[in-house]
Amino acid sequence: MDLFANLAHGFAVAFSPINLLMCLIGALVGTLVGVLPGIGTIATVAMLLPITFGLPPVGALIMLAGIYYGAQYGGSTTSILVNIPGEATSVVTAIDGHQMAKQGRAGPALAIAAIGSFFAGCVATVLIAVLGAPLTKLALAFGPAEYFSLMVLGLIFAVVLAKGSVLKAIAMIVFGLLLSMVGSDIETGASRMAFNIPELADGLGFATVAMGVFGFAEIIRNLDAGAEMNRDLVQQKITGLMPTKKDLIDSTPAILRGTVLGSILGILPGGGAVIASFAAYTLEKKLARNPSRFGRGAIEGVAAPESANNAAAQTSFIPLLTLGIPPNAVMALMVGAMTIHGIVPGPQVMQKQPDLVWGMIASMWIGNLMLIIINLPLVGIWVRLLRVPYRLMFPSIVIFCAIGIYSVNNAPVDVILAGVFGLVGYWLIKHDFEPAPLLLGMVLGPLMEENLRRALLISRGDWTVFLTRPLSAVLLAIAAFLLILTVLPFLRAKRDEVFTESEN
Amino acid sequence: MTSIRALTGACAAVLASLCGFVAPGEAQTYPTRSITMIVPFAAGGPTDVVARIVTSHMAQTLGQSIIIENVVGAGGTTATARAARAANDGYTLITGHMGTHAASVPLYPKLAYHPEKDFEPIALLAGTPILILARKDFPPKDLKEFVAYVKANAEKVNAAHAGVGSVSHVSCELLHSILDVKPVGVPFNGTGPAMNALVAGQVDYMCDQIVNAVPQINAGTIKAYAIATPERNPSLPNVPTTAEAGLPAFQAQAWNAMFAPKGTSPVILASLNAAAVKALDDETVKKRLLELGSVIPGLAERTPEALAMLVKSEIAKWTPVLKPAS
Amino acid sequence: MADTMGHSAATATRNTSVALGFCLLALAPQIFEFIWSIGTIFGWGAGRGPATVLISHATALVAGAPVALIGSIGGDTKKASSDVLLALIYSYPLFAVAILTIFMTIRSAQDYVGGIVLMALALFALWASSDLQGMRGFSFGAGTAPRMFGGLLVALGAGIALTGLLSSGPAMAHYSWRGPLFVMASIVFFALAIRPLGVVVSAFVSFLIAAMGTHETRWIETVIVGACLTLGCALLFPYVLGLPMPMFPRFLAQ
Repeated sequence: MDLFANLAHGFAVAFSPINLLMCLIGALVGTLVGVLPGIGTIATVAMLLPITFGLPPVGALIMLAGIYYGAQYGGSTTSILVNIPGEATSVVTAIDGHQMAKQGRAGPALAIAAIGSFFAGCVATVLIAVLGAPLTKLALAFGPAEYFSLMVLGLIFAVVLAKGSVLKAIAMIVFGLLLSMVGSDIETGASRMAFNIPELADGLGFATVAMGVFGFAEIIRNLDAGAEMNRDLVQQKITGLMPTKKDLIDSTPAILRGTVLGSILGILPGGGAVIASFAAYTLEKKLARNPSRFGRGAIEGVAAPESANNAAAQTSFIPLLTLGIPPNAVMALMVGAMTIHGIVPGPQVMQKQPDLVWGMIASMWIGNLMLIIINLPLVGIWVRLLRVPYRLMFPSIVIFCAIGIYSVNNAPVDVILAGVFGLVGYWLIKHDFEPAPLLLGMVLGPLMEENLRRALLISRGDWTVFLTRPLSAVLLAIAAFLLILTVLPFLRAKRDEVFTESEN
Repeated sequence: MTSIRALTGACAAVLASLCGFVAPGEAQTYPTRSITMIVPFAAGGPTDVVARIVTSHMAQTLGQSIIIENVVGAGGTTATARAARAANDGYTLITGHMGTHAASVPLYPKLAYHPEKDFEPIALLAGTPILILARKDFPPKDLKEFVAYVKANAEKVNAAHAGVGSVSHVSCELLHSILDVKPVGVPFNGTGPAMNALVAGQVDYMCDQIVNAVPQINAGTIKAYAIATPERNPSLPNVPTTAEAGLPAFQAQAWNAMFAPKGTSPVILASLNAAAVKALDDETVKKRLLELGSVIPGLAERTPEALAMLVKSEIAKWTPVLKPAS
Repeated sequence: MADTMGHSAATATRNTSVALGFCLLALAPQIFEFIWSIGTIFGWGAGRGPATVLISHATALVAGAPVALIGSIGGDTKKASSDVLLALIYSYPLFAVAILTIFMTIRSAQDYVGGIVLMALALFALWASSDLQGMRGFSFGAGTAPRMFGGLLVALGAGIALTGLLSSGPAMAHYSWRGPLFVMASIVFFALAIRPLGVVVSAFVSFLIAAMGTHETRWIETVIVGACLTLGCALLFPYVLGLPMPMFPRFLAQ
């Protein structure tokens, strides 16, 4: 019963007053960062690193971890209320969450997001404690070929996300892929489509494009003559704050499935967590008896991805805690925080630093509990914010977004680029293109291209690696199956359309 | 009223610096406000950690806070270009490294600055040794076998690196040019993913800084053939130097050093150098740097002249190695 | 009968304006570079002067590109200049599309124009990545992926435009100018002002500019809310979150 002894030790560490305080601060800052559009977790953790120098290492890491998963809670808030996803993981939440808000159901959407996140967080924490070490094998089993196949699957998810024309959705994904090519080539370092603009040398930032095509575009559209009616509707119709019994029954299976998917994908370093939320969304849409509800305010469309992204946020600590290898940029910063304290994490960190590892695991559970206690009462305040007249709300959102984008790299050019993408997004809305597949294409593009090229470099140009490696082959098979499922009804509908026209 | 006075003061300062003349009184009172230290890499990275450890002590000496501004992009060259264009009043400094102030010259043909012409050297802060690492089941047992194996199987082996222009990339290019082989380089986004691939056995070997490799080597998930410094490192006493293991030509260190924009007053540079030297003598600073596996420069290496020489020699060293690669 | 006549006449004028729009789009990069180059007279930004830009693009469009086109058919592999390539890869196909548009019956302007503009973006990307290296053995090279996706987007754009010709759908949506103009102005002002003027000035002024985007704005209320918001931001971002940004104008801070 080593596990219980370890956990008991962890809770003893995490329940010390200073660590409880650190956990609370982390959760609060994380929520704040998640709510504020633009400012990402990476930027905040980077900014707060120096503060942690003066703290004991365990407390410092508990706080940084709190910021990381706290931001997952907060991130859903702006997605639902004002349709601005702050992180790649909350793009999907915006689709149905904002529709719910427009129907006056912002309260239930926010509440179910918090409840789903809490449940997922608890399950994932237990998973880390119980199965952390064996699950590490999964992280090592994924090589470039497997990641490429996973990203192909991710792109298919992005097609399924679309509620309108499949052709237009695919075009948006490819547009996103093309945007993701801007910057430096990973293999040669050659500058691609950057037009000698230094700020473009590392590519377009996710926050920049997301603030543009979601945030600014939505604002500009709402300012159109004739859009007032639509806006006022949002403000007048607010009904209950908490989910109804039916909402809870509808979202329970979605939360369960989202948690499982998120927990598995989160373990994969380098991109697993990104696709967790829309894998969960796709699964719900495919399993639903009436998929047409999705994109029009289905509560499962909020519950599943929010559970998945929080579960993934927790399990993404596994490679760090068992291998000592940071799976993403935020974790890399946490490794930086550890090195500053003289702890260099490695495969033996669990044996050598039991206080740190088990204290952190225990604090995650405590942090999740704090977050739901913080977030549920906040729902009322957020919903009340929606009643602020739009003429005052929109300039405020513009300012928050502008400061947020500026703070990511301290680069004014990023702010202007976001504005340009605002105009692009406005144009997309006018031509009935959806921005979500575009953003997903942009996030997945580099991961797909880089892993494809790595895989081909290692195999010396042998394309069959994607089929001869079993995991990769399975992922590609799932992708092919999903693609057929998605395209078939579309083709059938087209055929029907042609028939009805010829009858006329 | 105060604003007008401040404005005239600012104008005077600009004029003075244009004429290359700074009133002695002004330089003696330096610094009168907080100093911005640009770090061209992400917070928490090796360069950032070194910069933070040293500047926190320097701030005490100078009596003003030093604010670290992490500006990421294009292998650190974006930030370095920004520092080169900053006002040379001693309030904007940069902690560069071997990549930004040497290897970038051959790597980026359109570099917006020149490490020698656009910067005033202040002091060398730390050196980080580079190791030759391999996956744990890579056949060669020691460096001699490794050299023979790579030469014999240059078509088959893969070298991982953390991206074009990274320390792991340029140092492996040096190794390859010494061995006169051109194995396939597999690029990753940063040392974390590259190390993950090495631990998982997806790639064969890589050259990397000591910091993150030590725990993996001690746990036996990867193995180290040699350390590319003249002496063994206390954190890895069993790993031989390249000279001991039979490849003395391969000497490489990732160094971090502090620079100011060209034309900064000598008085200011002297006080910054003095503060940096004092920081490197501090016991806690020393201890923290040693924990990172860093090598602390000796007294003779800490002068601005020594740093200027280092930059010159490093550019000369990397140019022939990296020119054909780009 | 008269009704149909009137309908077709309306489509005809509409098509001409769409075609003219595409011609403008075909020359947009050249026009943009020309406007940009005017700044170099005053010493802003880097790049070629306006006269050089005008002459080189005009020769590329009128003479350079046809010569290169004929040359490439004749097997002449001399490398064309970037301006000529822009005319060849981007402008000419769009001119062709514009000419074709005049003879088409557009059933859904929303889809047709949407598809063509996406196509234009893809062609532009193809031009922008034309100087990159392609496949070398099993190594992908920098240019392969952008070219692949660029080509794919050209095809998809054409496909969407085709659906706009074949099946009926919504016409062009109405665009308003007030919102986009002032929101953009506010964003650009913020970007330009944040470094020299600091958070306080840039946030407050940007707030007021953005507020001009709607006629619903009541000024007293807006100024009060703007001031409160600025104060909030000035406390929140630099202090609570510790983000390094200047608070006040640079000339006041010293």
